[in-house]
Parts: sequence; structure tokens; C-alpha cells
Amino acid sequence: MATAVQTRAKRTFRIGRLIRPAIGVVVAVFVLWRLYTVLASQSFGPDTWVRFAISGLVLGSVYAVIALGYTLIYGILFMINFAHGDVMMLGAFAGYFTLEAFNGAGFLNKNLPSAIISVVVAFIVGMSVSLVISIALERIAYRPLRTAPRLVPLISAIGASLFLENVAQLTFGVARHTYTNPEVIKRNIGWTLMVGGKEVLVAYTGVLTFVLSLLLMIGLYILVQRTKMGKAMRAVAEDKDTAALMGIDVDGVIANTFAISGALAGAAGVMWGLHMGVIYHYVGFIPGIKAFTAAVLGGIGNVPGAMLGGLVLGIVEAVAPAALGMPFQLKDVLAFSILVLVLIFRPTGILGEVLSGKKA
Amino acid sequence: MKKVFVFLTVVMVLVTALAACAPAVKCDDEWGCATIQKGQTIKIGYVGPTTGDYSNFGIDISRGAELAVKEHPSVKGFNIEMVVEDTQGTPEQGAAVANKLAADPQVVAVDGHTFSGSTEVAIPIYDKAHIVMMSPSATNPSLTKLGSAVFNRVVFHDEMQGKFAANYIYNQLGVRKIAVMHDGGAYGKGLADMTAGFFKDLGGTIVGTEPITPGETDYSAPLAAVAATGPELVYFGGYDADAAVLASQMASAGLKGVTFFGCDGTYGKNFIDLAGEASEGAFSTYVPIPESAAFAKFKADYEAAYGDPQGKLSPFSPHGHDAMSILIDAIEKVATQSGSSLIIPRKALADAARSTKDYQGLTGTLTCSDTGECAAAAVQFMVVKDGDWVKGPGQ
Repeated sequence: MATAVQTRAKRTFRIGRLIRPAIGVVVAVFVLWRLYTVLASQSFGPDTWVRFAISGLVLGSVYAVIALGYTLIYGILFMINFAHGDVMMLGAFAGYFTLEAFNGAGFLNKNLPSAIISVVVAFIVGMSVSLVISIALERIAYRPLRTAPRLVPLISAIGASLFLENVAQLTFGVARHTYTNPEVIKRNIGWTLMVGGKEVLVAYTGVLTFVLSLLLMIGLYILVQRTKMGKAMRAVAEDKDTAALMGIDVDGVIANTFAISGALAGAAGVMWGLHMGVIYHYVGFIPGIKAFTAAVLGGIGNVPGAMLGGLVLGIVEAVAPAALGMPFQLKDVLAFSILVLVLIFRPTGILGEVLSGKKA
Repeated sequence: MKKVFVFLTVVMVLVTALAACAPAVKCDDEWGCATIQKGQTIKIGYVGPTTGDYSNFGIDISRGAELAVKEHPSVKGFNIEMVVEDTQGTPEQGAAVANKLAADPQVVAVDGHTFSGSTEVAIPIYDKAHIVMMSPSATNPSLTKLGSAVFNRVVFHDEMQGKFAANYIYNQLGVRKIAVMHDGGAYGKGLADMTAGFFKDLGGTIVGTEPITPGETDYSAPLAAVAATGPELVYFGGYDADAAVLASQMASAGLKGVTFFGCDGTYGKNFIDLAGEASEGAFSTYVPIPESAAFAKFKADYEAAYGDPQGKLSPFSPHGHDAMSILIDAIEKVATQSGSSLIIPRKALADAARSTKDYQGLTGTLTCSDTGECAAAAVQFMVVKDGDWVKGPGQ
């Protein structure tokens, strides 16, 4: 009797173990079949694939920069800062008004150095505004709830997000705004690549976005791994109480983390405005959700993971619908399917959790 | 036990007394009447997206409606109150708001809903509650084919627009290969499908169809997919914000020199402001508003009241105004005073709205058909030239 029950239990256990490989096989067969059909039909030339890849890389690099903010804050406080996308939106608006001011003063297009100065100042203003908002957010919405259960700051974050969106709507109006780029980096101009006998445009703003986000990521990595402040951040992430006992100012470190993630979000906002052009009070919402997805995909709490997750997500969104012969309206479905699959096979994300075992 | 009886008796006496106090209202309307007591207001709902992605439409049209109420603030001594409800442009929210209005006995009519999707779900709710509707901007053709007794609209519907657009593209612009994009909504998809169907009937080819997710600011990947099909023109069914993003990203996605052709949802200054130089040469559909003294006054009032120039946020504020004015006129026609309260028979009100004839509105002379189509039919194709919309060639 006892043995029979045991065997049955064992058998169910084995069937359970078969589910994951079965899902893997089904998905792989489906993907290969769709890929084969699309490639065999030759509906897209090589130039189109290159365009998809460029679009994905640029989008992915912005996602990555925003995702870094999610991951840093999660790493330290184990909370998801849902207002992060809106911090980015305010940064985008700050950059927009800076460029408008330079344009109004006739400085923006005076000559090449003035254009460069304008863009650099727009980045500095955008990053500073987002930095201040992010610190204020922490002080007002999160710090008083530090000891509350984990769901409480989450709800506070959603409230803060709605608050910022509505303040932006009331302050800047419901109409959308278009970034005024300097003539030298106007959207729709750039280098021309010849792929398969056809011209493919690599926009200057796209390259700027991609390079700048790589620099920001490298900078952040060095900051976290090589500086004293980074060391303190990692210590607080490991164990707040012990870090406090070691003489680390925990509140200060948390404020620093919010400052850094805010500045990153501001830079992402200005990049978004320069490359995509249109901004409005909800501009941060979708990128915020996507960047959160990217952070989870790469392994939340993990800095290189956020970068990888962002790039993967961007490329999946731009390439996968075409590769699988689906309309682009389904790109979010595909992106989230990838997320589900990654979580089935690697529950801690692609690169997993490296900071601490406590949060798993 | 005794206590219960005493309690019940008291309740019954009170109820009878209250019933006796209320004036004996004579209402022989099939659908019943709305009774507005002295001091109460006649409520007319305005439903549209006043927050969220498409709030420019909702806010703009509500301003048109509000100006109509200012011009005509009361009926037989009872003030009109415009109750603004927000749908955020979604059908789910549209249904929720419709239920909310239907539950309020003072609400007799609705200026709305604004978008086709939210209107579609709201019609059965208002049908049941006997609340008459006059939509300023829901253009999906199927809406008036649902057999609703309460739904009417003052806007031109998409089937006519699609037919005219296909004809214009094929015959006037001489284009034979088009790609169709839309935002997947009831309005955008409906219009795009219809235009594509008429274009095929004329002998043209649809080289590709690519739906997009509305509200985003990057469409470079779907545009690249469209570019691969080699169209001469891209037809888009959807709203101006998405259209502006598409138009401005077309060149870098490999669609340089390909014409962008929008619809009445893309017409307006907003599109040009957002797309900037990339808007040059783009087409759209415009339901022209005839110049008149009333319209000039409306424009001036609008700017004075709200600061924005009329037409910046959406082209539909005159429609919002006309829908509201027709509703108030209809109430004026059927409302009767009884003692100190106002009686509004609901069926008579719906009939009065639908039998609108030769009404001089801002959008033209409006006459409702027996299915509730009240628009003054005319359509014009506009093209952006030197940063402004001008009449397209050959009209």
C-alpha cells in the first residue's frame, strides 16, 4: 500500500519534470517553423533586417538605461519604483525646455560648438531635474514607509507615478511636444549604409543614443564596482543592518542610489526626446514598464543583467514580429512571452541574482 | 413581535404621506419621464477621454459642448448642467461611465461618446436607460446600424470617408500600390479596412497591412516592414499623435518620398506641430466647416475662454457644440412644466432629437436620417504645404 502510493507520487513527479523540456521543444519547433516560413518567403530583404536591428538596438539601449534605475533601487530596497518611468518623462521635458530656450535665443544653430553645448546642457538639465525629483520621491513617498511591509511602498510608488503624470499634464498641457534638435543632429539624417544594394539610414541621433547609453552603463558599472560609494551601496544591498553597524550611513547611501537612478532616467528621457521626437506626459509609462521587464529579464538587482535585458528586449521587439511573420501589434505579446519563457527556465533572469542570496 | 408591527405601520404611513406630498405627475410617455424638481438641474452627460493618451480630443470637444451650454444655459427656468465623464478613450471605461450616467435619473441626454469603441459598448446601456445620445465624433459606420433608438451623431461616417479617400488616391493621385496601417481601434481599423476594400474594388493593390500599437513614440520597426513591400503611398487610419510619429519616422525607415495619407483623425494643427518638416506633403481628410458668422464667434469665444486657438487640439470642437445644441433644443421642445418641476418625456425627447431637420449648426445644415445620421455630408482632402493644411489638388 505504502509502496504503491510512493510509486504514484514518483510518477507524478517525473511528469512534472517533463513539463519544462516539453514547453522548450514546442516553443523551439514553433519558432523554427515560423522562421523558416518567413525566410523562405523572402518577404524582407537584408536591408530590412538591418533596419529592424538598428531600431532594436537604439530602443534597447534606452530600455537598458532606464532598467538600470529599476535594478539599482530593487537591489538596495527590494522595492519596484514604478514612478521611475515618470522621472524619465520629467527629464525629457526638462531637456525639451532647455533646447527650446536655446532655440529661442538663436544659440542652438549658430555654429557647431553652440549646438554641442546646447545638447550637453540639455542632458545636464534633464539629468539634474530627474535627479532632484528622484531624491524628493524617495524622501516623500518611500522613506516614511521604509519599515512597512513590502507591498506598501509599491502602492506608494504607483500613487507617485499617477501624481507625476497628472502634474505633468496640468503643467505642460495635454498636447504632445516635439523636440527641437540642432540642425546637425536632426532626426532622419545620418550615415547611409549600403545593404544588398539598398540604402539604410543610420540616424545620428540613434548612434548618439546607443553610444551614450553604453558610456552610462560602463560608468555606472565602474561606480558600483570600483568606488567607495559603490562599495557602500553593495554593502547596504547585502544587509542594511550590518552595513549600519559598520558605520555606513544607510539613508545617505539610499538617497545616493535614488540620485544615480534619477540621473540615468533623465539622460534616457533626453535621449528618447532627441531620437524619437515626440514627448508628452505619458511618454515614460510604456518605456518604464518595458524597462522593468528588461530588468526582470536580465535578473533584477543585477547591473549587467539590466543592460543585457534592455538590449535583448529592444531587439526582440524590433526583430521578432517580423522573424515570426506576425504583425508588429503583437510585439508586446512576444516580448512578454520571452519574459515568461526566461522565467520558466531561469527564474532569476538571464544573468541571475549576483548581489545577495537573501532576496531570492 | 408587536414592535415589528408598530414599526411596519409607521413606515407604511410615512411612505403614503411622502407619496401624497409629491406632485401628481402625469407622464404618458412609453419610456417614462425624467422629473426635475425645483432647484435641481437638467443633466446632460459629456463623455470623452479627458485624461490619458487622447485627452486632446476629449478636452477639445468638451470645450465645444461647454460653449453650447453657455449660449443656452437653461430650459424653462431650469439650468442645464453638463456632467463630464472621462473614458480615457477605452471601451471598458466607456461602459463604466455609461452605467454611471444611466443610474442618475436627472441625466436625460449624452453628448458623446467621443470614440467609436467606447460608443459601441455604451449604446445598449443608454438604450436600456432611455437616454438619448448625440455623438460628436464616433465615426464607425456600424454604429447607426445597430438598430438603436437613442444613438445619433453629427459627424460624417467612415464608410463615406473610405470611399471618397480610395477614389481620390486612385483617380486623383494616380497611385496604384498602397500599404495600409492602422491603430487597431474601432475607428482606425474600420476606416483603414474600408478604404482598402474600396481601393481594391477600383483595381488598386494593397501591398501590405501593418497594425501598430497606439500611443507609442517609436514605429521604426513596423515602418521598415512596410517599406519592404514597396508601396507608393501609406494610408493610415488612426489619430494625429500616432500619425505624426509615423510621418516623422517614415524617411529613416526607408520610406523616403512615399506619400503619407491620413484621415479625419489626423487632420489638425497638432499633426503639423508634432511632425514638423516631416509633415510636408502629407494628406488628410477634413470635413469642412463652412465659414459663418456663428463659427467666427465660436472661434473667438473658444480662444477667449480656453487660451488655445480653436482647432489646435482636435478638429471636433464644433461637432461637440452642435451635438450639445441639438440636445438642448430637443429638450426645449418636449419639456413641460408641472407645478414647480419640469417633466421631460424620454421617448419624445429621443424622437425630437432624431427628427432634427434643417438645423443651422456650426458644421452645416443638419438633418437627421431615421437611423440617426445627422452630419452635413461633405469631405475634402487636405495636404500640408509650407507648414499649413491647404486644399489638395483637383477638388
